[in-house]
Amino acid sequence: MQPLIEWQAGTVTEIRPETPQTKSFTLALPKWTAHRPGQHYDVRLTAPDGYQTQRSYSIASAPEQVGELELTVERIPDGEVSPYLHDVLVPGDQLEVRGPIGGYFVWEVGLGGPLLLVAGGSGIVPLMAMLRHRAAQRATLPARLLYSSRVPDGVIYRSELVQLSDRDHALELFFTFTRQAPEGWTGYRRRIDEAMLTEVIRPFEERARVYVCGPTLLVETVANALVRMGLPTELIRTERFGPTGS
Amino acid sequence: MERIEADMNTALMVDGNAVAGELQRIFGRDMTMAVARCAGCANEAEMGALMAFTRGPGVVLRCPACQAAIARIVETPSAIYLEARGATYLRLAAQS
Ligand SMILES: Cc1cc2nc3c(=O)[nH]c(=O)nc-3n(C[C@H](O)[C@H](O)[C@H](O)COP(=O)(O)OP(=O)(O)OC[C@H]3O[C@@H](n4cnc5c(N)ncnc54)[C@H](O)[C@@H]3O)c2cc1C
Ligand SMILES: [Zn+2]
Repeated sequence: MQPLIEWQAGTVTEIRPETPQTKSFTLALPKWTAHRPGQHYDVRLTAPDGYQTQRSYSIASAPEQVGELELTVERIPDGEVSPYLHDVLVPGDQLEVRGPIGGYFVWEVGLGGPLLLVAGGSGIVPLMAMLRHRAAQRATLPARLLYSSRVPDGVIYRSELVQLSDRDHALELFFTFTRQAPEGWTGYRRRIDEAMLTEVIRPFEERARVYVCGPTLLVETVANALVRMGLPTELIRTERFGPTGS
Repeated sequence: MERIEADMNTALMVDGNAVAGELQRIFGRDMTMAVARCAGCANEAEMGALMAFTRGPGVVLRCPACQAAIARIVETPSAIYLEARGATYLRLAAQS
């Protein structure tokens, strides 16, 4: 049986800046349940006059991190919810959440690989849960991450990603920068396209399980390219974040 | 894409997975892996893979193959309406 998901008040225990535009929020939950990497929580804000609004946020932490939940949120300047989380919330505050939610965009070690993860901007968040879970399980199945950012300091979890792949040769990272690349950068410096996907997927010979996450238009482009490349659609999973950050 | 309709702005589109919380509240179980058969073109897709438009009043779920509306969810203070004329059926795996 699946438990009914109910709203509960989590307590913010830590807020950590990841990049100039993103922060990670650790919440302690009274009714924590283990999630599947890729799932999300809904966050609900209630104004003093009773007006409510809610948004979805992917779980960044691995299910092995028992009792708490980490969310990573990009601040959308004219947004309703993300500026509140960034500018108003402080450790000790409560935040209403429900989850874990979703069975479609999930990957667990048991599903196997090889694994191709494709992220744009904050779309890295649910993919990071998959990589943290993979590391926590000491899985050795091949995994490749193709991650598009506009600028070098926009790369979320950069040092943790680099550490993970330094320790584990089955995990390979491919970064691309669309606006400005780091000094001396020899890697990709354009939007993700079919040629780039073809290069990154090559050793997997189209058998990879593919997870694509980020702003809707990026996910559209990547998903269409993968289908044109002949990847079986049942191996492709997408998560569109909406207009965010595009 | 053909058949772009007034409520369809593809930049704002998300996946059916994004409304998994609402669906789970209505059905009492995860619905994202339930398969919906489109009444228009007979395409079958997991609900998590439908096109979801959440920025209007209520939610519209559309067929990823032909863009026809499969289901609409509207919430009022006293009730939830689920209209699913666009689906021939929903197929749910038996729960153990
Ligand atoms: C399943 C899922 C998981 C997600 N996970 C994450 C995550 O891990 N991290 C993360 O940072 N985000 C995530 N998102 C995105 C998140 O849910 C919010 O959409 C995001 O934080 C913006 O919310 P907001 O209230 O700040 O902005 P909003 O007030 O919703 O506005 C966002 C932007 O869209 C524009 N916009 C809004 N409505 C319209 C409209 N009708 N027409 C044109 N433009 C419009 C606004 O101008 C603004 O620029 C996820 C989304 C989904 C669906
Ligand atoms: Zn159809």
